[in-house]
Amino acid sequence: MDYIKSINFKRLIIISLFVILVIASMLIGALESVTVKSLFQGDQTSWMVIWSSRLPRTLAVILSAAGLSVAGLIMQAISRNKFMSPSTAGASDAAGLGIMIAYIALNTQEGIIKTIFGFFFALIATLLFTSVINRMKIREVVYVPLIGMMYGGLISAITTLICYHFDAMQLFAAINQGSFARIGSFATVYIIIVPVVLAMFYAARFSIIGLGEDFSKNLGLNYNRVVFLGLVIIALISAASYTAVGPLPFVGLIIPNMTTTFYGDNIKKSMLDLMFFGADFVLICDIISRLVIFPFEMSVSLTISVIGGIVFMGYVIATMRKGKYRGKKSVTPSTAKASGEE
Amino acid sequence: MIEIRNIVQSYGRNRVLDDVSLTIEDRSITALIGANGAGKSTLLGVASRLLPVISGCVLLDGIDLRDIKTREIAKAIAVLKQTQSIAVRVTVSELVEFGRFPHCGGRLKQVDKDKIEESINFMDLDDIRDKYIDELSGGQRQRAFIAMILAQDTRYIFLDEPLNNLDIKYSVEMMKIIKRLVRDLNKTIIIVLHDINFAAAYADYIVAMKDGKITNRGRVKDMVTCDVLNNVFDHKFNIIEHHGRRICLYYGSRKFHKSEKMLDKRGMGRQIHMQKCLHHFSKHEVSKAKMKKVLEHHLSAYMHKHKKHDYINKMEQREIRTREHVH
Repeated sequence: MDYIKSINFKRLIIISLFVILVIASMLIGALESVTVKSLFQGDQTSWMVIWSSRLPRTLAVILSAAGLSVAGLIMQAISRNKFMSPSTAGASDAAGLGIMIAYIALNTQEGIIKTIFGFFFALIATLLFTSVINRMKIREVVYVPLIGMMYGGLISAITTLICYHFDAMQLFAAINQGSFARIGSFATVYIIIVPVVLAMFYAARFSIIGLGEDFSKNLGLNYNRVVFLGLVIIALISAASYTAVGPLPFVGLIIPNMTTTFYGDNIKKSMLDLMFFGADFVLICDIISRLVIFPFEMSVSLTISVIGGIVFMGYVIATMRKGKYRGKKSVTPSTAKASGEE
Repeated sequence: MIEIRNIVQSYGRNRVLDDVSLTIEDRSITALIGANGAGKSTLLGVASRLLPVISGCVLLDGIDLRDIKTREIAKAIAVLKQTQSIAVRVTVSELVEFGRFPHCGGRLKQVDKDKIEESINFMDLDDIRDKYIDELSGGQRQRAFIAMILAQDTRYIFLDEPLNNLDIKYSVEMMKIIKRLVRDLNKTIIIVLHDINFAAAYADYIVAMKDGKITNRGRVKDMVTCDVLNNVFDHKFNIIEHHGRRICLYYGSRKFHKSEKMLDKRGMGRQIHMQKCLHHFSKHEVSKAKMKKVLEHHLSAYMHKHKKHDYINKMEQREIRTREHVH
């Protein structure tokens, strides 16, 4: 009964939008003969296109978007900083480094091997980053993601250096561009289900972690263990999504931010909506990137960057205004500038 | 019962707690007082397992805290540090739900829900239960956190400066609530307070700390005395008794004289003034001639200032003489 009561209007909109977008994503593509009608008539080619191309693609979009949103939310809870995401803590870049090393060292491999490489690199990178940041005790909220971005830049510079040395720049350029067109490695994306389920299971703990170390210790939580678990989840999601579809900027940043303004910071309550919301956003971006130069398609990273950048700027300005209106300082101009830089 | 035994705690070379031992009485309010850096918050942190014990031990009902699972400690001891820095968007009822975590691990059962309702009602938060805590006033916010602690259902509650950033009305309200926790719910409360007057008015026991050591401890009436407080705070205190309650004055001396002047209208200031002079003489060895001179000077200046009638002056002189004899 509680569950039915908790279905609200906002959730209904997000989910119905999700259904519409999934259907749209299934029906849009280079082969125009795939329509609702042809599917109902049992046209074999249409079904084959759906099964082998469009469904995996749509699932990849949904899973990677939902996963990155969850990773972003956990990152923000752990660091208690609304401007953190896997991409502003070096996780995505380190995953990229790991995957490139897997490519260079082991040649073509199963997606899972690459993911494992990416996972370990991302985990080590985020562990290093969080432990250093915690020791520095930075008061200003903006500096942490700024340092994180520099750190990420450093890691990707190392990746570039290695690629340059092994003459793999072209490969790197291809991998470093987020796209849902690489159907071959989509199987990896299903790995994301594991950390997401884990995150749902530990949602209450992550919410408590977000309230501070003393607070979580008071409630009998092993703070360090939960933080480590969070970083494992983040690294796994980053690595799997990087292997399957490449980096998707902004998703881990804006989706958690917007969801928490609507639903608050109780992760357990907002997680489902967060995932649907993230999936909606990336589905829209994916559909747009498929339609702009139809029948060809653009890199989804590009679309996400453009739309995400605009949406995030709008969001920051809106919260600033609202903050002023309420007479509170929720987002300062300097934070707005920092987020604009991304 | 919580027993703190021979705790030594240090940050680097700096010894913050130096061989501190303390037993906390059940069903009472114990206030920790002391100057900044005396080690109050550190002691609170150690006693409530937020800080790891380096040397010594903390016993909960005779069992070392290190031998108890953290989840089990969380059912017995709750601690609330300064809450103003927590900038998280959760509603009041969600915050209170967090308090049940040690009991249910995040999955609320009927017992937990009942306890949550009880805490919300006890703290009178029913109207604002769906508001986000960052939208609340300081007092409401603090009440929401106390409700969470109540939902945690522990026997011991440690509070670190709960009156910080609260204005007078909410501070008094908060102390009354804390008093009610002991009286109605049989809690044991250990509280770090900055304002000695709040400690004097609401606590049962006061523990005074200085330079990482406990200098004095005892009931309020034994603790709120000039000697103890002057020593603990390195500052001159004046203590007034008002309706059987002790109030400390520790502001600038000019202000103190002002208050004396006000009292003088009822004829009380003079007495206090005399007592002060005599107290001064009893402490320092002064020759009788000098004593008389100072006293006369004091009084004539005082009388001149207040333009008293001559006959009062004469009475004062007589009083001095009698007191001299007594002395």
